[in-house]
Amino acid sequence: MKFAYILVLVFVCEVQAQSYEDVRCKCVCPNPSVVNVTQSNRKLYIDNVPPNKCTCDNVILPQVGDEIKGKEQEFCPRCECKYESRNTSIIKYVVIIVIWIISLLVIYMLFLICLDPLLNKRMKGNYQEHTNEEEEASGSSSTGAAAGTSSHPMGVRANVLNRVGHQQDKWKRQVREQRRNIYDRHTMLN
Amino acid sequence: MEKDPLRGNATISMSYPASYQAVDDQVANGEQFRTVSVSSDDDMIDITTTGTVTERSIHQDEVSAWHFMAIKYSGHSGGGVTIQGMQGESDEIPGIGQYDDFHTIDWQRDIARDRMRHRYIIKKKQDSIWDLIKGAHDAWSGWVCVLLVGVSTGVVAGVIDIGASWMSDLKYGICPQAFWLNREQCCWSSNETTFDNGNCSQWWTWPEVFNQSREGVGPYIISYLFYIVWALIFAALAASLVRMFAPYACGSGIPEIKTILSGFIIRGYLGKWTLIIKSVGIMLAVSAGLSLGKEGPMVHIACCIGNIFSYLFPKYGRNEAKKREILSAAAAAGVSVAFGAPIGGVLFSLEEVSYYFPLKTLWRSFFCALVAAFILRSINPFGNEHSVLFYVEYNKPWIFFELVPFIGLGIIGGIIATLFIKANLYWCRYRKTSKLGQYPVTEVLVVAVVTAVIAYPNPYTRMNTSQLIYLLFNQCGISNSDNLCDYNRNFTNVNSAIEIAAAGPGVIKAVWLLVLALIFKLVATIFTFGFKAPCGLFIPSLCLGAIMGRIVGIGVEQLAYHYPHIWVFSGECSTGDDCITPGLYAMVGAAAVLGGVTRMTVSLVVIMFELTGGVRYIVPLMAAAMASKWVGDALGRQGVYDAHIELNGYPFLDSKEEFAHTSLAADVMQPKRNETLSVLTQDSMTVEDVENILKETEHNGFPVVVSRESQYLVGFVLRRDLNLAIANARRTMDGICGQSLVLFTNTSPLQTSGPPPLKLKKILDMAPITITDQTPMETVVDMFRKLGLRQTLVTHNGRLLGVITKKDVLRHVKQMDNEDPNSIQFN
Repeated sequence: MKFAYILVLVFVCEVQAQSYEDVRCKCVCPNPSVVNVTQSNRKLYIDNVPPNKCTCDNVILPQVGDEIKGKEQEFCPRCECKYESRNTSIIKYVVIIVIWIISLLVIYMLFLICLDPLLNKRMKGNYQEHTNEEEEASGSSSTGAAAGTSSHPMGVRANVLNRVGHQQDKWKRQVREQRRNIYDRHTMLN
Repeated sequence: MEKDPLRGNATISMSYPASYQAVDDQVANGEQFRTVSVSSDDDMIDITTTGTVTERSIHQDEVSAWHFMAIKYSGHSGGGVTIQGMQGESDEIPGIGQYDDFHTIDWQRDIARDRMRHRYIIKKKQDSIWDLIKGAHDAWSGWVCVLLVGVSTGVVAGVIDIGASWMSDLKYGICPQAFWLNREQCCWSSNETTFDNGNCSQWWTWPEVFNQSREGVGPYIISYLFYIVWALIFAALAASLVRMFAPYACGSGIPEIKTILSGFIIRGYLGKWTLIIKSVGIMLAVSAGLSLGKEGPMVHIACCIGNIFSYLFPKYGRNEAKKREILSAAAAAGVSVAFGAPIGGVLFSLEEVSYYFPLKTLWRSFFCALVAAFILRSINPFGNEHSVLFYVEYNKPWIFFELVPFIGLGIIGGIIATLFIKANLYWCRYRKTSKLGQYPVTEVLVVAVVTAVIAYPNPYTRMNTSQLIYLLFNQCGISNSDNLCDYNRNFTNVNSAIEIAAAGPGVIKAVWLLVLALIFKLVATIFTFGFKAPCGLFIPSLCLGAIMGRIVGIGVEQLAYHYPHIWVFSGECSTGDDCITPGLYAMVGAAAVLGGVTRMTVSLVVIMFELTGGVRYIVPLMAAAMASKWVGDALGRQGVYDAHIELNGYPFLDSKEEFAHTSLAADVMQPKRNETLSVLTQDSMTVEDVENILKETEHNGFPVVVSRESQYLVGFVLRRDLNLAIANARRTMDGICGQSLVLFTNTSPLQTSGPPPLKLKKILDMAPITITDQTPMETVVDMFRKLGLRQTLVTHNGRLLGVITKKDVLRHVKQMDNEDPNSIQFN
């Protein structure tokens, strides 16, 4: 943009020191020279002041006062000052959580794609038994957990693992069904 | 008030079984095993004449008595006349009152169940302190549930907003000192932010990361490549996560939510995995720069949250009709966080998605939307003290003449919207039927790459769609340095308002770029909406309208500048003030296109004016929305959501359309001529007979009659309940075998030998809605819509003749509209 050049203002203020503030007063003004010449260049002034001080008088004039001496009343109405606040720590935690969730999902997806078929192949013998139990459970429409405990008199840990595996199989079946509805038969969500 | 009907019922129910039994014996003594097929009116008349007058009159009295009791829903005292037997007895059969996947719920039955439960709690309240607490918990659980839903919706929306804005900017560069900040946040306190693209020294564009300069041909190519690669990665992740974990998370979700709220079961559609994958997927899809928005999926996400929380409260979790009250409130919260418009959200829920919307739900939706908006606002995801990126504040007046261009915008908006709907539907139908549908992930990738390649060169399509809308809505003030605001005005004359000015070369260029952007966005959205990744339609339609509106607005503004003294401007522009605001036109145009696409009116206007924070523009927005709806309705019958419902064949009975044909219930009902109606008798069938009927037929429910000869109706029993009850009885009760009698009555017949009877009165719906065969279909359709029926029984002279289900009604409506009735797929 031809007119939107930025004059780098050298402040010795806390804005530079603490780079990521949570509040700011952002003022956009014409170039101070407009009071003399006809042009529409703009300049950005950012300062960290309390909300009630976020005005041209408090933010701009201390910085450029000598350039527009005597014409403050002409210059200031042209400025737009806005007080804004944010919370960087929320942003930080949210973004990190999002990255975590996505990585976990991707890892789990890769696991399901690559390793799961291999594991299942090895555990084919067990798998057979498993399906039988499920059929039995669904056939009698019992709670399923009861059937699991009776047929597997192992330790508590194995039982928990078993139940997790059971839930996972159930979930996988549901997803497979959903996939069939949507991707193969095209009965839904077209 | 409540006591009296109770007592009355008790007496009836006590006096009832004796006479009932007598009548039944008469019939049973006669021809017990002769099956009579009731297939035509003639047959029915024959049957009627065989019965004696007294018998019939007794029966009719009894039937009406039963109706009386059932309608009061109060008669569990003494006689044990319950529809569902909520008093602890039904707990022994797990799953009763639930529905199978892809089935329609019976609103009346569920609401009746809830009333019974409520009455039971009220009655128990006096018993002990604990029951009192339970009663209080029951009373406030609805409010607690919507509170939780609102809070979680706000939080999830905040996470999505922050995540999506961060990932979108990842396409351009990174903030090395604090990688979690997006570009604007990175340059938050930097004075050197440039006006052209918002870069500052803390923000490193990708060429800079690789030690290149910021401008030039080489860096441009690097940026371009990074843009495409990131878009590809995000799109691939979104599509494969959806495919892997939750296929139901694809699409916008609003057509399905509409169908679910109208009383349909799609298991897993509102589950945990759908929630997670849809939230993550929509972040990725928005960041990929695809032509889609996160507002529609937000409604789906909110409904998932509503569904999950309703399981904490058995009152809602176990009762599908009650659950839909929570879902309506959740849908309102979804729109509330999507647009920062709580009232608009409530109205959206009322106007667009909800089917059954009592006042109680209205207040709860209001509360839920309020809580959600408050939470999102305190998270402040965009750092602008508002919950949407494109919030603008206007206070300029508009001239009366401007209504003409506003209505014109409405008309153009309606045309664009119709064009979009037609083309999108054509493409979706093509995808459904052709080989294209076999490559869902590839399709997403191709669309993403093509979008990225075409979008990058044009600055208006390169930027995030929300940012583009914000830019278009904005007034040209001092802080706006885009090409769009390149007017030949100077800022020297400080004491007057910003004056109207001639458009500079930048504006002309911007208009051309915007025209290209309009065409591109329209085409891209047609191919995007409906592919197998999460995608919403609100933002692209708003964007289309905003581009169109801004162009028209600039035109009108220049007209006013060059001819300020024409009478139409009534002198308002002759003073040199900036009398025309192109940003307002953008807003009106956005409302017009969105109104044309979704056919919303009231909620749309409220959403738009909540976005602008000024009631001054209600009239322009209303005019445009109305014009756009008229044009849309004239050119194409349906909004995009209804069109997609029809494309998928969901059993959605639209309560907005009228049924204007003269057919009768007898024309629609099943069975048709020469077929027999499968019925159960109340006390003469064995378990084996019932199981045979269950095996041989596929009906989802069976009427129960006194006997096959008389066909007097007793009630209606659902297939699922029957299956569960028989399975449960075989498991838990001794002596139930194939020869056991199945009894739907209170008293067991005098039976000395044989296995014990199976009493299934608990699962019998004693108050099925019945109509006669001469009822006009207009009335029947109205009953289905307003009462939310699943089926109604058709009688003739008081005897059962057939059944009309919701599917029959939908098929009939289709047939009458000369469409393919077999497109209705589900039950």
